[in-house]
Amino acid sequence: MRKYLSIFLATLLIFVLAACTANEDAGEEPKDGDGATEEASEKVLYWNNSIEPTSFDPPVGFDAVSWSGLNNLMEGLTRLDESHTPQPAIAEDWDVSEDGKTYTFHIRENAKWSNGEDLKASDFVFAWKRALDPELAASSAFLGYLIEGAEAYNSGTGSADAVAVKAVDDKTFEVTLTSPQAYFLNIISLPTFFPINEKVATENPEWFAEAESFVGNGPFNLTEWEHDSHFVMEKNDQYWDAENVKIDKIHWAMVDDPNTEYQMYQAGELDSSNIPPELSEQLFEEGDVEIVDQAGLYFYRFNVTKEPFQNKNIRKAFALAVDQQQIVDYVTKGHEEPAYGFVSPGFSDANGQDFRETSGDLLKTNVEEAKELLKKGMEEEGYETLPEVTLTYSSTETHKVMAEAIQPMFKEVLGVDVKLQSVESSVFSEEQTELKYQLSRSSFLNDFADPINSLESFQTGHSMNRTGWSNAEYDKLIQDAKKESDEAKRFEMLYQAEKILMDEAPIFTVHFYNQTFLQNEAVTGVVRHPVGYVEFKWADKAE
Amino acid sequence: MATYLIKRFFAMIVTLWLIITLTFFLMHALPGSPFNDERNTSEAVQKNLIAHFNLDQPVSVQYIEYLKSIVQFDFGPSIKKSSQTVNDLLGRGFPVSFELGMVTLVVAILSGILLGVLAALKHNGVIDYLAMTIAVLGISVPNFVLATLLIQQVAVNWELLPVATWKSWRHMVLPTLALATGPMAIIARLTRSSMLEVLTQDYILTAKAKGLTPFKIVFKHALKNALLPVVTVLGALAAGILTGTFVIEKIFAIPGMGKYFVDSINNRDYPVIMGTTIFYSALLIFLLFLVDVAYGILDPRIKLHKKEGR
Repeated sequence: MRKYLSIFLATLLIFVLAACTANEDAGEEPKDGDGATEEASEKVLYWNNSIEPTSFDPPVGFDAVSWSGLNNLMEGLTRLDESHTPQPAIAEDWDVSEDGKTYTFHIRENAKWSNGEDLKASDFVFAWKRALDPELAASSAFLGYLIEGAEAYNSGTGSADAVAVKAVDDKTFEVTLTSPQAYFLNIISLPTFFPINEKVATENPEWFAEAESFVGNGPFNLTEWEHDSHFVMEKNDQYWDAENVKIDKIHWAMVDDPNTEYQMYQAGELDSSNIPPELSEQLFEEGDVEIVDQAGLYFYRFNVTKEPFQNKNIRKAFALAVDQQQIVDYVTKGHEEPAYGFVSPGFSDANGQDFRETSGDLLKTNVEEAKELLKKGMEEEGYETLPEVTLTYSSTETHKVMAEAIQPMFKEVLGVDVKLQSVESSVFSEEQTELKYQLSRSSFLNDFADPINSLESFQTGHSMNRTGWSNAEYDKLIQDAKKESDEAKRFEMLYQAEKILMDEAPIFTVHFYNQTFLQNEAVTGVVRHPVGYVEFKWADKAE
Repeated sequence: MATYLIKRFFAMIVTLWLIITLTFFLMHALPGSPFNDERNTSEAVQKNLIAHFNLDQPVSVQYIEYLKSIVQFDFGPSIKKSSQTVNDLLGRGFPVSFELGMVTLVVAILSGILLGVLAALKHNGVIDYLAMTIAVLGISVPNFVLATLLIQQVAVNWELLPVATWKSWRHMVLPTLALATGPMAIIARLTRSSMLEVLTQDYILTAKAKGLTPFKIVFKHALKNALLPVVTVLGALAAGILTGTFVIEKIFAIPGMGKYFVDSINNRDYPVIMGTTIFYSALLIFLLFLVDVAYGILDPRIKLHKKEGR
């Protein structure tokens, strides 16, 4: 038995030594990342991506953690500028046919892949058809449905050949849309519509999975990617606009804990940090916090197929009882803008006016009117007492706090005792889609910067409707807006549509989102788009 | 011994199969789906995704397919991280968790036993009270609180060590401390109480009478018997620590496998749920087996095989 003991101890010892040697090796690495001390000439940014990107396969990784990386590694026909409007990028310019449906893009002569190969129109044809391939099952494929033949192909009823994209010659790319939709130029700045090097992707279908095989065409190159730990980008010399890229290297950590992120920022290990919720009040007071728009909002959905919310007046009564200003001042405390309409601020209409400002406050707190509407609604439905109402939220702290703030507002204004119910988030999404709740929390994040992206969700039977609400006039306005080539007329339709939505109130809005962060003073020119991802093309760092 | 080992091995396989089957069907019985979130989507896209991951087949067919693939050690693709397989995730995450876990275990065991022995020897003395105060604190202060405190003091205020991430041994010190304190306290308390019991036994008196040095008495005679309860908890403790901890790995941004246990269930990432469960169970079953073997070594009265025992 003594022998076994010594074997056991020896094994243990080997394990320990193995663990220790691994450390020593790791300890010999240069201290990069511990601080920006060694680089005197190089400009290095230290950023946080919070978690591992879902995927760097452009149409598959459909979230901010993938798009922030992808947007700096690759480039589409257009790129959003500092004011978030699409500008010529890989395409030097383009022609639009008279009916507004056919776009002919002229690709830059000096557009190259990071491996030095020429970027061709056929790379776009390959990438776009691939994004729509039902076999690939890309989550963002639906963004391409405005292309002729795209929806049919992605739904399995059409074919790749019928998708109206073609390479006229090596540097000319032509697309035909189902109808003139001016925001097409906005949509194609998104990663879903990035080109893919056909030759590379044919040889290695998993080219996007590792830094070694990644071939991009953006301002930066992926040079290192240790999964779940960090990735590194370096300036891409092959990029057509390389002379305007000032940053040499970006180091992306993956720190998911907001407190740790903030502590790393304090210790100089990161150049920017989000605001940990517990410290937000204090940090706002100190005045270092910067705020930019984030297109999207927090709202609640009524279920119009369940009592008592089949009645419009009762829905509106509940909506008007909520005091959004109080919520942003005392509950969220993140300097958000209270929402009295569904379309986020920051989108310009045909006259260059802000959509939100022009549309105005469509459903704003009004205690007296709320009381009256409830009375009226109950009379219409013949209710002596209101059927019991349960408000459901997905079980995270933020949503709980919000629900607990709104519950007493209903009690105080309407005298209604609303029950609260918390449901695990995955179950919540499913049951909300199946219309199992009366009143439930929701959020919406824009995929692209146009009001139509927000408003099309509430068409009859749309997968994002989730309220059971259906309005023929509304549906027609959205469909007509998609077919309208005159921007002024199109926006008029969208204004009308939003009015109908807020008047019918299948939802009530709470607040728009924003992005709040701290940033190293030496860093300038970082652009955070309202659609959720970050841009380093114009960034700089003082020494 | 050989027959015992073979029997044990088959029992382990059956246990594992039961765990796989139960988890598989329970997991699919859970409401919710991996593709249901707040993001914009379309019905066609949802259908394509479900077909892509073969979730449109009956659960029984999926189960058979799954068994076939795990026999070949293929845990399938991750649904959420679609360009990676579960084998990739475990293959990357486990070595990191294991490295941290091993160092933590060594620190916890050595310091825990030392504290326990000292406390038992100086029973009701200053050292005993001090050691037990440390132990009570270690058990009652949650490791995430300790972690945050350590980062704030050592890394941010004193600037002695880096805040987080996983690069060199310097990045390892704080998470090890945060992680080791709890197990150390448990081990210290167990060691102390069983040492106290053992020290009153007759054979210790005999050893003293023989004129052995106190060092020999404590470490050769007393401790060997006093360690049995410690070894008992060690199996489960080691399996837990070696496969990583969600909270500590999140706070220190350590690329271990701890997060997959929690994230996979929240995301309904079926292959990852199965992969982590199987991995953890296999490790736990193996470690419990090692504990049984260690019993026999520490205490000859416990025989692994019936015939040997009689």
